[in-house]
Amino acid sequence: MAYSSKVIDHYKNPRNMGSFPKDEPNVGTGIVGAPECGDVMKLQLKINDDGVIEDARFKTFGCGSAIASSSYVTELVKGKRIEEALAIKNSVIVQELNLPPVKIHCSVLAEDAIKAAIADWQKRKGIKPAEKKEEAA
Amino acid sequence: MIRCPSCGCEQSEKIVCEQCTGPLPVDLDLFAALGLERRLSLEPAELERIYHEISRRIHPDRFANSPQEVREASLKSTALVTRAYRTLRDPVSRGLYWLELHGTKLAEDNKQVPSELAALVFEVQEQLAELRDTEEPSSRQSLLETIAQSREAAQREMDQAREQLVANFAKWDQKSASQAELLAELKALLSRIAYLRTLLRDIDREIEPSVPR
Repeated sequence: MAYSSKVIDHYKNPRNMGSFPKDEPNVGTGIVGAPECGDVMKLQLKINDDGVIEDARFKTFGCGSAIASSSYVTELVKGKRIEEALAIKNSVIVQELNLPPVKIHCSVLAEDAIKAAIADWQKRKGIKPAEKKEEAA
Repeated sequence: MIRCPSCGCEQSEKIVCEQCTGPLPVDLDLFAALGLERRLSLEPAELERIYHEISRRIHPDRFANSPQEVREASLKSTALVTRAYRTLRDPVSRGLYWLELHGTKLAEDNKQVPSELAALVFEVQEQLAELRDTEEPSSRQSLLETIAQSREAAQREMDQAREQLVANFAKWDQKSASQAELLAELKALLSRIAYLRTLLRDIDREIEPSVPR
């Protein structure tokens, strides 16, 4: 199976590859995996207090399509509000990267990674006000 | 109904003829091939006993001088019975076959793996990547030790998941859970096992240079 030129481009020149420090308060980390192929994907989003995604990093162990999907997603979410990022469907990734049917699960994984990263950020942010309230009471 | 190539009688689909105990050229599911009810919990010793008993009766050596039709029936049913035994004796392959029998596959509408398992896989893959990039012998040695510990952790998870699978078989067989629920639970557990199996394989490929990549 031949990869599309866009997949190859992202694979050879991955965008925003790497990690943010895990304990940085504005960073949400999502790690998701695909049991059928063994792939694992980490997506980190730096989200400001207005709920805008300022920056993103990814690190993926897996096939070219999984790497390209996560690389593309980091470009896609930058500058978006979390509600907009949560609305991203995997079909956008499939279309952009010309993924064949057998690689659609890679785009699903990338979509799941966005949701997991935002959920992690919300959890971190959500817990703090709750603690403050308890302290106040 | 099927006609026995040895004695010519007509009878219901079974692996051996009720009249003459000759082999029948049937296409049965793997449980039926061994004359078993469709149950997830199987006793390994009992399964082996049944397999040997049926194999003896239909073995091609017994029919070396029989008409071609009978020899072919013997080969066909022997292949089926062997495949049934090999698939059903292992709890994991039995579970995967069960999904297939019920019209679904592991990769289909599969739920995400739990985040702590994905995190474990990610951590180990990072260690393996670091090992690939490390030349210096003492650094490699300490990395290899870390990876060996990770492997143990993954193996423990695997052992637990397999134990849980076998323990759940009996529960599922009692049909206390609905069919859809059962298939979802079975799938979740088999996904976990599949993911851990891939991880263990990746570790072994990296730390044992003899294993081809």
